Amino acid sequence: MMDFLVRLEQTGFGTWVREAPTLWAYPTVLFLHTVGLGFLVGINVAIDLRLLGVARKLPLAPFERLFPIMWAGFWINALSGAALILADATTKLTNPVFYVKMLFVMLGVVNMGWLKRRLFRDPASLESWPATPQARFVAVTSLVIWIGATTAGRLMGYLGPKSGLD
Amino acid sequence: MGTGLVPLGGPMQAFGAWLNGTWLHDFATHYPWVWPTMETIHFLALGLLVGTIGVLDLRLLGAAKRLPLAPLQQLVPWGVAAFVVNLVTGVVFLAGAPYQYIYNFAFQMKVLFMLAAGVNILVFYGGGVARRTFAVAAGDAVPMAGRIAGAVSLFVWIGVMYWGRMLTFFRPPWVVPPH
Repeated sequence: MMDFLVRLEQTGFGTWVREAPTLWAYPTVLFLHTVGLGFLVGINVAIDLRLLGVARKLPLAPFERLFPIMWAGFWINALSGAALILADATTKLTNPVFYVKMLFVMLGVVNMGWLKRRLFRDPASLESWPATPQARFVAVTSLVIWIGATTAGRLMGYLGPKSGLD
Repeated sequence: MGTGLVPLGGPMQAFGAWLNGTWLHDFATHYPWVWPTMETIHFLALGLLVGTIGVLDLRLLGAAKRLPLAPLQQLVPWGVAAFVVNLVTGVVFLAGAPYQYIYNFAFQMKVLFMLAAGVNILVFYGGGVARRTFAVAAGDAVPMAGRIAGAVSLFVWIGVMYWGRMLTFFRPPWVVPPH
């Protein structure tokens, strides 16, 4: 298993991300991962807060147009995340916190699918106040999941094995 | 030996020395859980800032046009709260390792970008642009001045994130990392 992780790290791309002496390698990948987080989690949290009663006069239906931006954030992070893993496979793939984060991200994606396919397909209950129990459940779940994913991501740098990469 | 835009030995060095003697410095460096906790909070509020101010910016630029502007204003206090949280957690980092930031080109740029965001907000609210912008109904386009404010806001906040992420790569080599 460790051989496989070493081989991942030693691939040309993994080595480039980790070692290239340019801001366009590791630093830029980290930056992209942060921007993706901002748009994916940020917009989802805005929808959650609205479902829970913030800015109640704001119609929810138009937020559907922002889903492509959330998905763009997701894919930016899937790709930049894969690059970060490749660059540091022996450390990150042996860190249990990484798998906790992946669990949260998977739950977050499932929850977003629910939000889109159930709630946004039913405009009447989407805009109703007080929010339906289902809407409240999806919003609270989403907040918990994204707080969990972000926290796990941050803590990967502090808990478990360390490589010296920030 | 880089110090970025701030020369060694000036008032900023004295400021750093003063920070090093504060209780906040001790708090930030004494307990191993403080730094990661503050970082986590910093990132969560980053998401909230993008989700509120960023969504407003996107609407100003023409995304999700069916969103009426007036109620969208109610997201702004959440963005301000997120910024305050990040200012506070940011000050904890600064007090914890003053010279890592003061003599760091990326930190200096991050501060300049935040000042630019502040100027943009002053022009938007002080110049009457906000009044005309928040009167825009669902489905209508925002006046050009409002669109420019949205573009500037989106650019500078993404820039703030960029320079924030660059911090560790511009750390002066003579600074010992705080964690």
